[in-house]
Amino acid sequence: MINKKVCMIGAFSVGKSALVERFVRSVFSDRYLSTVGVKISKKTVNVDDTDLTVVLWDMEGKDDFADVNMSYLRGAMGFFVVVDGTRKETLDMALHLRKLALDKAGDIPHAMLINKADLKWEVTDDQLASLEATGIPIIRTSAKTGHAVEEAFVSLARAMMKD
Amino acid sequence: MSDRAGSVSLNGEPETPTLGEVPDIPARTGENTVAGAGPRPDGDPAFQRLRELLFLREMELLRALEKRLDDPVQHARETSEVIAEAVLLRAQKDNMLYTALEPMAEKLFKEALRRSPMDFVNALFPIMGPAIRRSIAETFRSMLEGFHKTVELVFSWKGLRWRWEALRTGMSFSELVLLHTLLYRVEQIFFIHAETGLVLNHVFDEGVATQDADMVSAMLTAIQDFARDCFASEQGGSLDSLQLGEFGILVERGTTAYLACVVRGTVPLEFKQKLRDTMIAMQIKYADDLNAFTGDSGKFAASRWELEDLLDTRLADTGAPLPLWVKLMPMAVGLLLAAGAGYWWYEARQRDIERRYMEESLVQVGKEPGILLVEARRDDVNHWEVIYQKDPLAKDPKTLLDARGIDPGTYTMLLIPFVSYETDMVTRRVKERIDPPENVSMEFDGDGTLRLRGKASMGWILQARQEALALPGVEKVDMSGLTDPRIDELKRMIALVEGTVVEFPLGKDVPVPEDAGKLARAMDTLSAIEKLAGGMNVSVNLTVYGHADATGNDKRNYEISQARARTIAAMLYARGSSMPIAMYGLGADYANREGAENGGKNHPRGETSEYTGDRASRKVELKVHLAQLPSDAGVLNLLR
Repeated sequence: MINKKVCMIGAFSVGKSALVERFVRSVFSDRYLSTVGVKISKKTVNVDDTDLTVVLWDMEGKDDFADVNMSYLRGAMGFFVVVDGTRKETLDMALHLRKLALDKAGDIPHAMLINKADLKWEVTDDQLASLEATGIPIIRTSAKTGHAVEEAFVSLARAMMKD
Repeated sequence: MSDRAGSVSLNGEPETPTLGEVPDIPARTGENTVAGAGPRPDGDPAFQRLRELLFLREMELLRALEKRLDDPVQHARETSEVIAEAVLLRAQKDNMLYTALEPMAEKLFKEALRRSPMDFVNALFPIMGPAIRRSIAETFRSMLEGFHKTVELVFSWKGLRWRWEALRTGMSFSELVLLHTLLYRVEQIFFIHAETGLVLNHVFDEGVATQDADMVSAMLTAIQDFARDCFASEQGGSLDSLQLGEFGILVERGTTAYLACVVRGTVPLEFKQKLRDTMIAMQIKYADDLNAFTGDSGKFAASRWELEDLLDTRLADTGAPLPLWVKLMPMAVGLLLAAGAGYWWYEARQRDIERRYMEESLVQVGKEPGILLVEARRDDVNHWEVIYQKDPLAKDPKTLLDARGIDPGTYTMLLIPFVSYETDMVTRRVKERIDPPENVSMEFDGDGTLRLRGKASMGWILQARQEALALPGVEKVDMSGLTDPRIDELKRMIALVEGTVVEFPLGKDVPVPEDAGKLARAMDTLSAIEKLAGGMNVSVNLTVYGHADATGNDKRNYEISQARARTIAAMLYARGSSMPIAMYGLGADYANREGAENGGKNHPRGETSEYTGDRASRKVELKVHLAQLPSDAGVLNLLR
C-alpha cells in the first residue's frame, strides 16, 4: 500500500478548501484550519493500475509573507500551490510559498493550480507562459465546475510515483 | 575481442606512450597511409623482423592478455576473486542487483520448498512451535480469566446489583461490568512515520470504533507539530500525551517513527515501560525501511505482532474475592439436591418396574394348568403374600417364579390343593392313572369324553376303562379305536366255524363222507375258540341247526333235521368238548330256524320256497355264541 503526504498551500481565500472539499474525503471539520492551521483529508488515486493514497494536508491560507509557518511541509512528498486567478497578488504569494516549500521539503513533485478558471482572471496568460517557461507546471482549475481538478491529482500522483 | 586486440597490435596504431616514443614510426605510418592502396609491408621479412625487434615484449604481453581473456577457467578464477566486492559495491549504489536477482531467488526458493518441504518444516518448527504455544496459552488464560470473572459475578451480590442496574439503565450487562471494573484498556495503536505523518500500521482491540487511520495519524502528527511550533523549540520537547475525559493518547517517540496509543483509563508505569521497549525494538528492526520510507507501508505489515502485544485490558479487583469453595457452594448444593432428586426418582422408577414385573409373573404363573391365583398382596416393606390353588399334578408355583428370576425372599406363598377340570390336567391325571402302552393314543375333548386308540391287551383295556371312568373330569370313555389282537383271532375262527356247512345224504343223519375233513377242521377250530375264549374270561356256546330238504312230509323232515343236529353235537362231545351245545331241527323250512330259537314256532311254508329237495338243503349249520362271564363285562361289546 502506497501512501503519499501532499500539502496544499496558497494565499488566503484562493479556494484550496473548495478544491479539497469537492474531491476528497475528510473526517475533520474546517475549524481545524483556523485552530491547528491544517486540515487533513484523503484521496485515493489510481495511477497505472496502482492505488495510491494521497493524505492531503490543507494548510491555512496566509496573506502575510512573514507569518507563514512551513513546519507542516516537513516530510511532504508533493505539493500543490494554489493561486486565485482573479487576484494577481496571490500569484506572488504562491511563488513565495513555492520557494519556501522547496527549501523545506527538497525538490519534490508539485504543481501550481490557477483556480477560479470559471471567472475572469487578473493573471494573464503571458505571465503564466513565462512561469511555465521556468519549469513550473501550471494547471488551470475550477473548484466550482470541477475543471481539471481530478487531472491535477492524477498528474501529481504520477510524478510522485516516479520520484 | 581478440580480433580487435589483434588488429590494434598489427596496425600498430599509437595508443600507448610507449608506442609514441618510437622516433621513426610517424614517418612510416605516414608512408603507409599514403601507400595504403599498394601491397602491405607485412609480407616483407625485413619489416617483420624489425617489428619483432621493436615490439617483442608488448606482443608477448598482448598474447598473454589474449589468452587470459579467452580461457574461461582462468576467467572464472579471476572473476571469483572480485565478485563479492562487486556485488557489495553495486548494492550500495542502487537496487538493480535486487531487481535482477529477485525472480531467480524466488524461483530457487520455490523449487527448494517443493523438493524438500520437510527441511523447511524442521527449520521453522523451533520458531513456529513456541509462537503457537504462546498463542494457545494466551487464549486459555483469557478464557479462564473470563470464566473466573463470570463465576465471581454470577454468585455475588454485586453481580446481582449490576444486573439490576443494567436492566434499569438499558445498558448491556457486559458494558456495565466493563464500566465498573475497568482499570485501563489500550484500544488502538498507531505506528507512524514521524516525518511524513503517514501511518505505517494500525491495530485496535475488538469492538473498538475507529476513524480513518491515515487521517488520524496525519492529524496527530499535525497537532504535535502545532504543539511544538507553539510551545517548544524545534529540537527540544514533544507532545507525549493527550487527555480527553476518560480517553488519552500516549505517544512514544523513536528517532524516525513514533507509537501513539489510544487508551481508556489510566495506564500503569509498567505499560509505559513496555511501550518504550517496543518502540526501541521497532526503531532498530525497521531502521533502514524507516529511513528510506517513500510511502510504502507494506514493508511494516509484520509489525502487527509487536503492536498487538501492546493491546491490553486490565480490570480492577472487585473487592476481596471470596474463596472458590464459597462461590461454588450454591452450585454444589444445587448439584447435591439434583443428584438426590435424581436418585429418588430412579429408585421409585426401579421399584415401579419391579412391582410391575412381580404382578405380571404372579398372573402368568396363575395361568399355568392346575394353578389358580387366589390372592396377591404387597405390604409396606415391599413384601408379597400370595395364595394359589394348586392341583396335585400341577407344577410347583415356586419353581415357576424362580425360573422368572423372582427372589424367594420377596414373597410368602400359601398353596390350597384342588382338583382341576382343565383339559390338560384331566389328561395328565388319566395318563398317570391308566399308564397307556406305547401304541395307544389318548384324546380328551372338552365335554369329558376320553378317546383311546391303538392295540392293547383286553385286560388292560377293560381295567383302563373302569379306572378312567372313576377319575374326576372323565364322563365317557370311547374305546372303539382300541383292539386286542386275540379278539381279531377269535373273530376269524368264529367266521371259519360258522361258514362250515356239512351236507347229508337223502334221508340219512350221517354226513356225506366228502365233508368229513371240513367237519374235522371246524371241530378243531371250535376247540381252539373254546381255549382262547377261556383265557379271556369269555364262555363259548354252540348252536347246531339241522336242515332237511323239501321231500317228504314235515314230521319226517323235522325228525331227520333234529337227528342230523344231534349227530354233529354227539361228534363234538365225543371229542371231549365241554361247551354247552344247543341243537335245533329246522325241518325243511329254513325260515323256521329263528322260529326254533324262539320256541319252535312255524312260519308259513310258502315263504321258504328256496328250499327244494336238493342236496344242499340237507345240511347242518353251526353258530358260535360267546357269553361274558360275570367278572368281566364288556368284552362282547368289543367283539361286535
